[in-house]
Amino acid sequence: MKLLSVIFSIMLAGIFFSGCHTTAGTSVVMNHETGGSVIYEGNTRLHNSVAVTAVTYDKVPSGLNRVNIQLSSLIQRSQHLQYRIAWFNSEGMEIDADTRTYRPLVLQGLDTVTVTGVANNPAAVTSRIRIREWRAAR
Amino acid sequence: MNATVNNCICLALLVVFAGCATAPRVYESELDRTPLTTKIEPQDIRRTVEKMAESLIADPGVLDATKGERPVLDIEPMKNRSQMIVDMQSITDSVRMRLIRSRLFRFVDRSTAGADIAIMDEQAQLGLTDPRKAIRPGQQTAAQMYLTGSLTDMVTRVGRVTDHYYKFTMILKDLRTGEIVWTDEQEIRKVANRPMF
Repeated sequence: MKLLSVIFSIMLAGIFFSGCHTTAGTSVVMNHETGGSVIYEGNTRLHNSVAVTAVTYDKVPSGLNRVNIQLSSLIQRSQHLQYRIAWFNSEGMEIDADTRTYRPLVLQGLDTVTVTGVANNPAAVTSRIRIREWRAAR
Repeated sequence: MNATVNNCICLALLVVFAGCATAPRVYESELDRTPLTTKIEPQDIRRTVEKMAESLIADPGVLDATKGERPVLDIEPMKNRSQMIVDMQSITDSVRMRLIRSRLFRFVDRSTAGADIAIMDEQAQLGLTDPRKAIRPGQQTAAQMYLTGSLTDMVTRVGRVTDHYYKFTMILKDLRTGEIVWTDEQEIRKVANRPMF
């Protein structure tokens, strides 16, 4: 009888926690005017599996800002991630938020990839990349 | 002990049947959700449009071809060479929207040329408009380049696995020289495993 009780408890816990995956991820805020970047990590699992190893800035020939972000896998298995690069004006307001999408990224074990984003407007001076687990997008 | 077991059973049944409502649950989903099928879905279109617009904005060849001026483009709707029904006009419209909002490109629209003529005719003939202010035909900007492309796909089915590959290709062609100034492609691959039961 005690065994039955334990089984039910495990089942209940499974049902309750099966949908518990956080939508928080890793964010990097990059200021193209000062050249600084700040990393925010809101997901412990991502913190232990993905690292932002380099951030560089330049301008495309039309004068718009471009950012290159290097991401490195810290684990041996493949990771299915999504990333979104958003752009902000000098007042900190996001430009054309609706048109920025989450792009899929499959990061192989211990591999390093560079993702690139181009500003969608000359007013864009700050960018932010947000990385989340694929499962977070339901 | 029996009471504990009974409570556990009741609680488990409550949790299991809590979602058994007859009316469908409708909720607002985010635009970039996980795929539901191996077909082309809205998030695929959005990613394709974003990638194509960024690639075109970043390419130096376009500005070289127009000697640094904002180029005037037109759109020839993309061709659908895939097995799927996809509104290709909508994709080119979205790319155009993104490019116009970047303020680096100008666009003309041939599809509304008939309406333009009709409005100008009305202004000239109805007598409602000040003739000095009426717009006369023959002054519109000419397109220097046009944007077009295609969608192709490949399907492989092995047992319960369906592998669907799509490729969007876009080109920008210079009308004067006939050269392709820019091109890029977006590949999408989706795999579905059909459950055994």
